[in-house]
Amino acid sequence: MERTLEFVNISKAFPGVQALNDVSVQVKGGRVSALMGENGAGKSTLLKILSGDYVPDGGCVRINGEEKNFTSPYQSIKASVSVIYQERQLLNAMSVMENVFIDDLHESKFGFLNKSELRRKTQEIIDSFELPVKPSDIVGHLSIAHQQMIEIMKAYRRDSDIIAFDEPTAPLTDREIAVLFRLIGKLKERGKIILYVSHRMAEIFQITDDIVVLKDGQLVTTFETSQTNEAELVKAMVGRDIGDTYAGIRRNDKIGDTLLEVKNLVTEDINNVSFTLRRGEVLGFAGLVGAGRTELMRAVFGADPVISGDILLEGKSVNFKSPKEAIDSGIALCPEDRKTQGLVLSRSIRDNISMPVLPKLSKRLFMDTKAEESLAASAISKFAIKTPTAEKLTLELSGGNQQKVILGRWTSNLMDTKILILDEPTKGIDVGAKAEIYQLIHDFASQGIGVILISSELTEVLNVSDYIIVMRSGRITGRLSRHEATEERVIELSMMD
Amino acid sequence: MDIAGIAKKFIKGKTFSLLCMLMLIIVFFWYFSPNHSFLSVTNIVIILNSMVLFILFAVAVSMLIISGEVDLSPGFIGTAAGATMAALLEGGTVPWFVAVIICLLMGIGFGLINAVLVNKFRIQSFIATLAVGTFLARGFSFIVSGGRAIPVRDPVISWLGTARIGDVVPVTVLISLAIILVYGTILSKTKFGRGVYLCGGNREAARLAGLNPKKLSYLLFANSGMLGALAGILFVARIRSGNLDGTNAFSFPAVTAVIFGGISFGGGSGKMLGCFLGLLIINAFNNGLTIMRVSPFWQDVASGLLLLLALTLDYISTRRANRASIPKSARRLKQEG
Ligand SMILES: Nc1ncnc2c1ncn2[C@@H]1O[C@H](COP(=O)(O)OP(=O)(O)OP(=O)(O)O)[C@@H](O)[C@H]1O
Ligand SMILES: [Mg+2]
Repeated sequence: MERTLEFVNISKAFPGVQALNDVSVQVKGGRVSALMGENGAGKSTLLKILSGDYVPDGGCVRINGEEKNFTSPYQSIKASVSVIYQERQLLNAMSVMENVFIDDLHESKFGFLNKSELRRKTQEIIDSFELPVKPSDIVGHLSIAHQQMIEIMKAYRRDSDIIAFDEPTAPLTDREIAVLFRLIGKLKERGKIILYVSHRMAEIFQITDDIVVLKDGQLVTTFETSQTNEAELVKAMVGRDIGDTYAGIRRNDKIGDTLLEVKNLVTEDINNVSFTLRRGEVLGFAGLVGAGRTELMRAVFGADPVISGDILLEGKSVNFKSPKEAIDSGIALCPEDRKTQGLVLSRSIRDNISMPVLPKLSKRLFMDTKAEESLAASAISKFAIKTPTAEKLTLELSGGNQQKVILGRWTSNLMDTKILILDEPTKGIDVGAKAEIYQLIHDFASQGIGVILISSELTEVLNVSDYIIVMRSGRITGRLSRHEATEERVIELSMMD
Repeated sequence: MDIAGIAKKFIKGKTFSLLCMLMLIIVFFWYFSPNHSFLSVTNIVIILNSMVLFILFAVAVSMLIISGEVDLSPGFIGTAAGATMAALLEGGTVPWFVAVIICLLMGIGFGLINAVLVNKFRIQSFIATLAVGTFLARGFSFIVSGGRAIPVRDPVISWLGTARIGDVVPVTVLISLAIILVYGTILSKTKFGRGVYLCGGNREAARLAGLNPKKLSYLLFANSGMLGALAGILFVARIRSGNLDGTNAFSFPAVTAVIFGGISFGGGSGKMLGCFLGLLIINAFNNGLTIMRVSPFWQDVASGLLLLLALTLDYISTRRANRASIPKSARRLKQEG
């Protein structure tokens, strides 16, 4: 029998937002169904209703025609539903195997953990995911991309009938994505129902069969993937034509003198790296997981210790011992992972945006609340952050809107930025907003700011940057100008030994 | 946000539930106390008086808990400071203010030891501060006092412990209220206070955004030691003697009261007002039982029941809220609102 999953008249409100409004959708087994929509459209909320994390205000979920009212993730897992959340839900202090088998830890006769069995089974899964990790590795020590793969393993292992992926590829590089897509293909062959959320257009056309489009909590339309195209899909999502994301960028073409010079830098993860960044230049860094791009920038920013080498800012040698010193000298780094390095989730949007400029917002003894309010308000409007108020806890924002808060923090007009380092800035950001961020990058560049762009989305690095550096295993393996750089060339360099 | 929205948020918040509980306690004891004496000026002063030391300890501890750490040592530091105070004043040659300064510096010193253990040696603050409190500070109290109770006769210190403004409000009550007000303002209105929340909410994110969590941690532990010492001084001033038990017994109840007031472990949220209301509730409740002549044994049981009741109400209200909207991961943060 063919499997079906129906959402029937689902509604869900949060204080000040109608996250879902009477949404009815049906999806079938053996097909990959994409959920698309702008940031805050309600995709993750729909999946959290499926997982039993949220209880809908109205409507119900039907699986194979049978009504299900999950009130906890436990129940949905028992009903053979697995939802992989947008934010990782791992126990960082525990090992890979304990995380993967978290709800099914094997016990021996006496109720003790059967570690050898656990290790063997985890290794099998790791092999099918082609990951260079061990079952006993501590999850918190792995790269963000590998952590994401562990999160996916957790759901994959349960072999559920329904598997939902909420932006699984956002932190992944091409190599992991290829593996993931192979696995999804296998699940599809076995007749499983697969829901797939992503803001990466190419992926949608590569692996999905159907597309469901949401906007402002309402169902807009559904497409069969083969019957539509990118322009039509984007129009349905955004409500207007946005044109070609990359061709539409008004590029900065005035590149000035040298701003930053890094010479023979060595750190724990970086092996003798040199590069220069000029005023007004957008310098892209490409590479795979473990290439050392993030680590390189953290060292420049004073977040990680430097072992040897020189960093020259406007010709003067600098050696930042803390991010604060780097910020004071005009360097801003928008970090890779919003959950661990970016946001203080328990605080409001306003508090998160003002973080690096707190000293400037202090009037005599007290905080200048007016100035802070207006700083937050300008970031909210600049990035169209979807929220009823600046007081909303960042915890309650959709993933893409959280990312916008971090971008808002590092691009606020109180920052005296000379160098803007963006590590995966468009992670989780919808198509429309992406185009605006690319434009923003070039606007900054035309003010003479040097921008460093790290991205695992290859088309992004290739199209936005003026100059591209490719890294592998902590070394630079290639330098290409925008005109020389092609996808093949960059991939080749990022795999080179 | 509109007025209705603000009101709604307030009703769901922790402050509101604490106020409700306080009202309940006040009405109950007012009604049942002999001659409604629960709300007499004398009795209110008695309640505030019983809160003085708790306030100092709770302020110290709540700053640290919001910043993501905990401190169990201030009660013991208070004892050490009190004993030192008594010993310094015993000979009659050291002026009172020199003794006070020495004791406060000593408190800061103990706090810095905590900070070094936590930041340099990466020992969990629970363990580090317990060790510093129960071994270092307590051992120090022994050494200083030689194991005896030292009487304090200094006129200024005695005045501090007993004087009442207008013959009604004790000076120590005013000191404690001023302190919680100042710290509450620091926490909610200054850059420093914001830093406490941000570092407690996500230390690494705060560091990457240019804050200095390490420096903050040193400052807060030092501050906690200083407030502990101040409490110890007030204690000695009140009982006019430095002894070995001193304020030791205050450490755990202070933490309990802070948690009761909605400042939860994990850091990044909570308010000083909640801490104050929590203290007020606990102390008013105990006072009410006393004036109704409930035996001390039953008082302990009743306090335990109060705590359980509070936790149960909390649980029920957050679970209801969750059914309405909040994800599992958000629940803890929400209730502190
Ligand atoms: N726990 C919550 N409390 C309050 N509001 C919430 C909560 N969770 C989600 N929302 C709001 O509901 C709306 C829908 O959010 P949702 O996470 O479903 O968006 P999304 O489509 O997944 O977006 P993204 O592409 O950014 O991940 C947003 O406006 C968000 O702020
Ligand atoms: Mg989402």
